[in-house]
Amino acid sequence: MTVKWLMHWQPKPGTTLSTQILTEACQCVESIGGQKDGRWRSVLTFYKPMQRDALVPVDHPRDFLGLALQEQPAKYYFILRPNRIVLEADASIQVIMEKLQSYKARVTLNFEGFQYKLGDFQLRVGKCVPSASEALRGIMMEVEYIPLSSIDKSRQVLEEFFDIWQETISKKSLPGHFMHIESNFADYGLQDRYTSHHTAVQYATCMAQLIAAVRC
Amino acid sequence: MECVVQGIIETQHVNALEILLHGLCGVPKEQVRVHELCLKSGPNLGVVPSEVRLLCDLAHPTPSWTVRHVGGAMRGSGADQISVLVRTVVESKVSNNVLRFFYGLGYKLDHEILKVGFAFTFHRGAQIIVTVTSAHKMPKLHAIEEALPITPNIHMVEITAPATAENYNEVVAAVSAFCEYLAPLLHLSKPGVSAGIVATATAAAASLMSNSASKPL
Repeated sequence: MTVKWLMHWQPKPGTTLSTQILTEACQCVESIGGQKDGRWRSVLTFYKPMQRDALVPVDHPRDFLGLALQEQPAKYYFILRPNRIVLEADASIQVIMEKLQSYKARVTLNFEGFQYKLGDFQLRVGKCVPSASEALRGIMMEVEYIPLSSIDKSRQVLEEFFDIWQETISKKSLPGHFMHIESNFADYGLQDRYTSHHTAVQYATCMAQLIAAVRC
Repeated sequence: MECVVQGIIETQHVNALEILLHGLCGVPKEQVRVHELCLKSGPNLGVVPSEVRLLCDLAHPTPSWTVRHVGGAMRGSGADQISVLVRTVVESKVSNNVLRFFYGLGYKLDHEILKVGFAFTFHRGAQIIVTVTSAHKMPKLHAIEEALPITPNIHMVEITAPATAENYNEVVAAVSAFCEYLAPLLHLSKPGVSAGIVATATAAAASLMSNSASKPL
């Protein structure tokens, strides 16, 4: 698998998110030569424990994340951040979790948008919305550099792309900017060679940022 | 869903059973070496207590992990009348950190065993898997290299067949029909309803062994 950076839109303090930002970001991708080549959809689910007695102290996590990625339709990923674990499973693991009745899928967030081809890059730009409402929770971007699967080797080219992208988007004078938070893959026992596990970790990192941004 | 029956056979007759199965199935046997860990939900976790099995397949150079959830058996008068258990089973192949993951969720190890033996997978009216194994216990946690047979004189035989809500009647019939062939050597019944060992097994085994001696496989 080739290296991917996940980015999220960080709004300026005091400003709110709007779909206008997404539209402008898509226009920016097209302005630098991006060719639309399909839709993009990932689904992230928060699993929360089901307790028999809410008053009894527990030794299990408050929540963990489940992730379905478009590029791996037969797989499903669980991310347990406090323990730094990312688990890859067949999609049927969701049925097992349901049958165990120990954790319940509480909130589902859909990442939906468009996919673009731009030379050696694949870009995906989309919004993050809860499945139960239309409320916009975030704007996300995936940048994939197709020729390389080494994180270290692709760092420079992705950083250069990021600079060009920031310059392009800044011309629109939008209230905020895209951010790439570097995930600590080593904490999860992941190596330099990029896999879907890395993508799952990045989603968890991004999610923490989006939640923090909402709380600000 | 799966259809399942189980039985036991004395270890001394396992070679005869293997010869019979090989003759009936016409496929080579596969080695079975599975480390099975049974986990149970910790206190206060879940609406009801739950149980999940993690299976580590050690028969291949790279171990692979599967999560298996066995649900309730089909009930009702129809289910009582058939000699095969029909139950829901969901499996998912997972990465090798699955034990840490379930510990992280608050599950605890209840027990672990190592199943060693062989299996035949073939098609006869339905896809059927016959597994003949000896269960081993570990003297220390996860010490599979030091595992010892729990019942050295007895092997477990399990016949399973994947099924769906639409076709389980046919699959039950296929499994029942196949069980008939094994009747001289062992009784197969629903899990938990042990039928014991078969009185004719010694004679049947001797006959199979002498036939195979004159006709090499």
